[in-house]
Amino acid sequence: MSSEAKEQKPPGWSYNPSAWNERIPIVILAIVGTGIATYLAMYQLRIFKTVWEPFFGDGSKTILNSATSRILPIPDAALGAISYFVDVLTGVIGGTNRWRTMPWIVIIFGVAVGPLGAVSITLVILQPVLYDSWCTLCLSSAVISLWMIGPAMDEMLASLQYMKRIRQSGHSSWKGFWGYDEVINKVN
Amino acid sequence: MWAQLVNTALGLWLMVAPAVLSYNKIGADNCHITGPLVVSFAFVACWEATRSLRRVNFLAGLWLLAAPWVLGYNETLPIVNDMLVGALVFGFSFVEGKIEGSFGGGWKAIW
Repeated sequence: MSSEAKEQKPPGWSYNPSAWNERIPIVILAIVGTGIATYLAMYQLRIFKTVWEPFFGDGSKTILNSATSRILPIPDAALGAISYFVDVLTGVIGGTNRWRTMPWIVIIFGVAVGPLGAVSITLVILQPVLYDSWCTLCLSSAVISLWMIGPAMDEMLASLQYMKRIRQSGHSSWKGFWGYDEVINKVN
Repeated sequence: MWAQLVNTALGLWLMVAPAVLSYNKIGADNCHITGPLVVSFAFVACWEATRSLRRVNFLAGLWLLAAPWVLGYNETLPIVNDMLVGALVFGFSFVEGKIEGSFGGGWKAIW
């Protein structure tokens, strides 16, 4: 899609947020999250008859069969699994200069990580408040989604700063967002 | 970063406190709502690029100081717990801590 020159730090940055050592930990978290959410969804779809719950008795059953978990046409854990998988894909796609060569993927990545965390926290609040129960794996999933936010946001920050430099330079934000070479080669 | 880890721990304590101390229903609900929020903002603020989110817990701390009186807690221990945790969260939300990386002007530089 674009000319992948040698790896660059964003201007004024002490490190490159698109480097693999920055992204791989987030991708690993997202893979684990996909696994947990898939397992929970399979229980909700009754592919598994029981669900693992080491601490809170019938807590997981109560939570995973609650009215909240069935608000949408698909079980909430299935939606979680899909979101985590989007995080895996948008975490892996692109080279180490993607903060400027592919702002669109970085921004989708950041936007996907944020709401997943927000929804997870809301669900954590609803467990005790509405159902007086806790669900161990649901809490684990919330920790993972929260854990991805901080490490993912720095890369989105770099891309948003780059988008601002495109605007200031008078080039097309649209073309910059999609990583056209004519913009990449002219804006740092 | 350590200050935000302390606030994360304080938020986790709020989540379990109703199981340990004699909170009434509304007090327990308040802990179960405020606790995860404190944890979320403090934990995400552990990373340097998102450190400024710590400031949201400034409000959480103030709310915890007021909550026992606004919501009408009736036992001493929950009142003391909320106010103590509130004061600590409030205080630690001001601690920026060491920022070693540089971020090209940060979030202010995107507009």
